[in-house]
Amino acid sequence: MQDANLQRRLILNIPTAFLLLFFVLPLTALVVLSFWQTENYKIVHDWTLMNYTTLATEGAYITFFLRSLVMAVGVSVTLVALAWPIAYFIVRYGGRYRIIFSLLLVIPFLSGEVLRLIALQGMLGPAGLVNGALIRMGAAPLRMIMYSNAASFIAFIYLYLPLVVTTVYLSLINFDFRLAHAASACGANRFRIFTEVVWPLNLSGTIVGFMLAFIPTLSASLVPRFLGGPNGTLYGMSMAQQFGESGTWALGAAMGVVLFLFSAVALAILSYGVDLRRTGFTGLGRQ
Amino acid sequence: MSPSFTDSLIKWTLAAFLALVFAFLYMPIVHILFASLSTRPNFPYPPEFNVASYVRLSTNTVYQSAFLNSLLLASCTAVLSTVLGFLATVGVLRFAGKRALIYAIFFAAPLFVSEILLGISSMALYYMLFELQGNMLTAIIANAVHCFSFCFLIMAAMLYKYDWRMNEAAIVCGASPLRSFFEVMLPITWPGIMGSLITAFVLSLNGLDVSFYLLGATPTMPSVAWGALRYGVKPELYALSSLINIIVFAMIIALLVAIRLKRKAV
Repeated sequence: MQDANLQRRLILNIPTAFLLLFFVLPLTALVVLSFWQTENYKIVHDWTLMNYTTLATEGAYITFFLRSLVMAVGVSVTLVALAWPIAYFIVRYGGRYRIIFSLLLVIPFLSGEVLRLIALQGMLGPAGLVNGALIRMGAAPLRMIMYSNAASFIAFIYLYLPLVVTTVYLSLINFDFRLAHAASACGANRFRIFTEVVWPLNLSGTIVGFMLAFIPTLSASLVPRFLGGPNGTLYGMSMAQQFGESGTWALGAAMGVVLFLFSAVALAILSYGVDLRRTGFTGLGRQ
Repeated sequence: MSPSFTDSLIKWTLAAFLALVFAFLYMPIVHILFASLSTRPNFPYPPEFNVASYVRLSTNTVYQSAFLNSLLLASCTAVLSTVLGFLATVGVLRFAGKRALIYAIFFAAPLFVSEILLGISSMALYYMLFELQGNMLTAIIANAVHCFSFCFLIMAAMLYKYDWRMNEAAIVCGASPLRSFFEVMLPITWPGIMGSLITAFVLSLNGLDVSFYLLGATPTMPSVAWGALRYGVKPELYALSSLINIIVFAMIIALLVAIRLKRKAV
């Protein structure tokens, strides 16, 4: 029994220790660094709130943050609205092709952010497919989709759609559709079945999908740098620049903390009503 | 309107929408496949078949070393995160008892921290503690943190219906715990383990954010692609991207076929 107890402890403790060391500790280091200063590319160990004051007062950073926030909310809401009909169709009508449909959605997700952005640039860029076709047909190229916030928006949708569809799909596939039939038998119409049975019972999975798109969009750095154009700087991109070109690590760390705190608060608010057992993330459903 | 008519109307509207979404997801991929095979990469229609950009890609030494680095990084990350994810899955499903939910949330937490934050914070930590600029090992570890959650969720999904009494039965019959793992558990759970290995491999092969901050000057595929991107997209990049897409596609098909074959055999 002693032996079994030891084995049991080891099995849970090894991954826990790994996460504490390489996930929690770095985030703590980031918080500490955000209260220090960088001068001439050197870190100075002076405790100060200056980084946060800069972030709260400098107009540019506030603009970047608000732009990121609006973008992230817009992208996530759009994604949920797009993902629901797709997941619903696959679960209800997919039949034996369900697995093929869901894999076909995941495959583009697996080829990586940079390569997918390259592919997207092949569509949207000045010499891309859309504008190439427009020019060939004698029309003027669409300025809107070249190096603009609209281009970033399309890119975010393109990048995270598979993720959100998969989470909603996981939730719906574990949903007992007999409940909807029961509501129908009791005389509810389609709209009421959806708003009072299907949607509330799958809300948890939907919120997880929302968050999985919201968080990376909020801190995105590659998309705006590549597709955003002159007025498309987002918070994450600005943060990446603090660690790259400008070398002001402490300020960048403060931006990282702001992003992290904001994601955590959003997560806390949204997960208030979440019952994880309903998300379809299995292993939680059996209790 | 009869209900069955409305039903099929809804069904076909949704089907058309799904087709549109698939077109949106796959058009860029197919477009760059054509572009990589064409002598006119900007508007490669009608399609041609010209492998010049693939030849240039294979003779480019920067891409070669980047490819080897990425391969090393991705294989190590896949193994590390799958082993840890497996331990976590077994721990949560079998040993955690009442605290299963807390552990599960903790193990899934890296999913909710963006990759760039993970990369930047790890870089800051190593720099503050050891004045390290980052190397392959730190990059593997940071990537493994990110992939660990995916591995955990994939294996938990596959394993939660697993009957643990089978392990106990094997042990009662005189097998060592190690032998019961290799001869009972592994043969049954391998689709989940393979899925986790492939996902972690592909994620770390393609991830830029984490590796970018932790690898310093060591080139990997995504960082070379990113560097080249800033000086304008070249057909070689299209070729590279198409190649990776084809490899990923082949891996998924292989996994599907393997699962099919296994099911038939049982």
